Amino acid sequence: MNCDTTDHVDGIDRRSVLAATGAGLSLSLSGCIDTVESVVSDDEDDQLSLSIVTVPDDGNRETVRIARHLERNLEAVGIDTSIAWRSPSEFLEMILIDHDFDLYVGRHPADYDPDFLYEALHSAYADEAGWQNPFQYKQPTFVDPSLEAQRRADGDERRQLLKPVLRALAEEKPFDPICRPDEYRVANTRFDGWGDDHPATRRGYLGLEPEDDVDRLHALVTDARPSQNVNPLSATIRERGTVVDLLYDSLGTLVVTEDDDGVSYDVEPWLAREWEWEPTDDGRMTATVHLREECLFHESDEYDSQPVTAEDVEFTYAFLNDTAWGQSDTPSPAPRYRGQVSAVDDIVLDEDDPYQFQITVDAGAEVGDRALTVPILPRHVWRAELQDRISDLDSFSAPQGDWGLVTTSSVPPVGSGPFQFESQSQRNFLHLERFDDHFTLRADVALPEPTVEELRFSVDPGSTSSVSRVESGDADLTSSMLEAHAVGDISDDSDAVRLESPSWTFYHLGFNTSVSPCSDPEFRQAVCRLLDKVWITERIFYNRATPLSSPVADDWVPDDIEWDGEDPTTPFIGTDGMVNVEAARAVFESAGNFRYDDNGRLRVRN
Amino acid sequence: MLAQVLTQLVVVVTLLVGVSTALFVGRDRLRKTRGAWRQRVRAATPITIALAAVLLFNSVARQIVPDFSWIIDWNLTFPIYDLEGEFIIWLQAQATPAVTAYFSFIYIYGYVFLLVFPLVAYFALSETRPLRELLTAYTLNYTIGLLLYVFVIAYGPRNMMPELVEALLYDTYPQYQHLTRQVNRNTNVFPSLHTSLAATVSILAYRTRVQYPGWNIVAAVLGISVAISTMYLGIHWVIDVLAGIALAYVSVELAHVLVGRWSISAWLDGRVQSLRRR
Repeated sequence: MNCDTTDHVDGIDRRSVLAATGAGLSLSLSGCIDTVESVVSDDEDDQLSLSIVTVPDDGNRETVRIARHLERNLEAVGIDTSIAWRSPSEFLEMILIDHDFDLYVGRHPADYDPDFLYEALHSAYADEAGWQNPFQYKQPTFVDPSLEAQRRADGDERRQLLKPVLRALAEEKPFDPICRPDEYRVANTRFDGWGDDHPATRRGYLGLEPEDDVDRLHALVTDARPSQNVNPLSATIRERGTVVDLLYDSLGTLVVTEDDDGVSYDVEPWLAREWEWEPTDDGRMTATVHLREECLFHESDEYDSQPVTAEDVEFTYAFLNDTAWGQSDTPSPAPRYRGQVSAVDDIVLDEDDPYQFQITVDAGAEVGDRALTVPILPRHVWRAELQDRISDLDSFSAPQGDWGLVTTSSVPPVGSGPFQFESQSQRNFLHLERFDDHFTLRADVALPEPTVEELRFSVDPGSTSSVSRVESGDADLTSSMLEAHAVGDISDDSDAVRLESPSWTFYHLGFNTSVSPCSDPEFRQAVCRLLDKVWITERIFYNRATPLSSPVADDWVPDDIEWDGEDPTTPFIGTDGMVNVEAARAVFESAGNFRYDDNGRLRVRN
Repeated sequence: MLAQVLTQLVVVVTLLVGVSTALFVGRDRLRKTRGAWRQRVRAATPITIALAAVLLFNSVARQIVPDFSWIIDWNLTFPIYDLEGEFIIWLQAQATPAVTAYFSFIYIYGYVFLLVFPLVAYFALSETRPLRELLTAYTLNYTIGLLLYVFVIAYGPRNMMPELVEALLYDTYPQYQHLTRQVNRNTNVFPSLHTSLAATVSILAYRTRVQYPGWNIVAAVLGISVAISTMYLGIHWVIDVLAGIALAYVSVELAHVLVGRWSISAWLDGRVQSLRRR
């Protein structure tokens, strides 16, 4: 080794450089010192403290702003409140899998049918991980029987039976629906037929008519997760499952139609050619289902193409009920599709016909139809993957909702859907290709088909930039629904069209009802009264959202809890987003177990 | 869209570097450089390789680091927000379209120019030490910065108070987000590498003020502008910027100590001579 001691540039007063660079900053910082001291000197031993979990602006601008609105108002009534910002998948991990939260603000994927409340609220799922009951809400005497009763009914009778559930929800507030965002997207006119079907569903990507030389549909997503993992069972990387809908077929497919009378949602035959629900003697429904014949699963490096048969259907429903296939101490239900699958009681195969089976549901026709919307998984693939993981039975465990098989990206994404997996690049894109053997491409099937050879979902950093890319012709569709602030950026004189679609997702405040203080319904009500839903829709959503008192479509909501200029059960205490501190404190004080100390901090009464 | 933004960036920075070379470096130094470039390249090669390796490692590691960070879960977002949310609001109150345009330009073009030009300027000096110190300081910035990113999760102001940060870079100029997301992860804001690298250049420019008096002033103005732009555009907190300046200071000092201590070329020369002697 050699030592070079020559030194040319030195003897400079470094501090003066730093002082020059930092001068402007240190001056402006001086105002913060008071805040630091007050935080340090606070005696917060018994003050009630809460944490709100949410995603940052890059994940969803609106949720951050709702969370901060709530934080400000909670602080105003003397509750020590902090916000935890998590990335979208970490957020869902915390809420759905670990149940490690007090409050959270997020968007619920919900579903077109109010039966999603069954998995969201039923006590049976309070201890499960996944989209099933993340609130850990237990009300087996009032709510569970109504949830079960509404499933078994149809039409007006079901509407009546659901009312007690909605009323209990409004009173008990395991979660509080805040508003339903208007769903806007932008699409390029290179394709014709936008808006015929809902772009969050499978059919939104089928039957589109491209211009002559176009053979690729380029869609933009603001969520990077589809580029990382397309496992259909994961609760933390899926939102609404649009990509899963394209890779996998389900027996029936959702068709959303809008006319002058409103929006109607129907499940129409897809992989199943037809079915007809008939009541059984014991009040259930049963149907004989005929699959389309000679449909194939996609091919992958590891698995040959195989036909889709009734055995795959039987496997799918059993597997979603227990992804550990009876090999672990306790069953390990999938963290998605829990409600749909729970409605299915029995599937009986036909010995003579591999394409026919008998399905019996403990539900009416409406919920029965919804049960037919889960993706049909290839038995040969998932059984093999399962076997790989349980080779060592002694040390095998399958933590429900979170075990390898339901979270991994390594299971080949083999479905039978209209598009097949081609490639993906983390945080860049997911590339799908048309599946030429798909049944919709047959001459005798009159259903919308994949019209382009390539379907690429590119990850785009934000709604604003997605809009400008579609307008400039660089992409064809903003597949993720646009954030409210970006809708105003759509220009009127470009080649792009603005699509507005019916929406069933909603923003909500979720409570962890298993830990104090949120275990107390009176406390939850009081917290809900700090949310100014009108102010939120006006100022955070720029009037591109509807305030909600109930999480289901308007025609399901009973009159007495209908939105009425304000939330009828938990009206906001204050005006224009600002809480009326005195009145709000009175509400918290009368909410039971709380008192205010001399410094105006809310404490739990000893 | 990325390609378009990149092309624009290359054109603007090339132009700026060209003009500055003519202004600050001068014909004389360039002529001498033509004769001596081989030696200078050789002198700078080891540290250039080290920097390239660190950058390469960085680009790979940034894919994995967030996962580790969430496991460690040292999330500073709320404490920072609680401490200095007010300052960002004050800064935003000063926003005007012209100022936003200026700082957006600085954040993208000014910054890249600030990092690139000293490479040219110091290469044109007969003494290679400033060049080696610069490259070493860059390497240290990236190494220490990445280490801190592993431990600290924090989102910037734009991610936490989007309505207060009026001059959101990515709302005004969404195309830039395509560029920055190639190199940045949104949980990595502490410290501000933008600030630390810019401050590194400013400090070194001050030390070479005898050779480049004009550049010293330009680098000071640009360095301060870059630091302010990161806060003005809602990308960094004051704490990130202060940490960035501290990181720059540490990197420059360390570079000063390290450079020349182990000279690989001299060591090689020694080996070659001793071989010849045999």
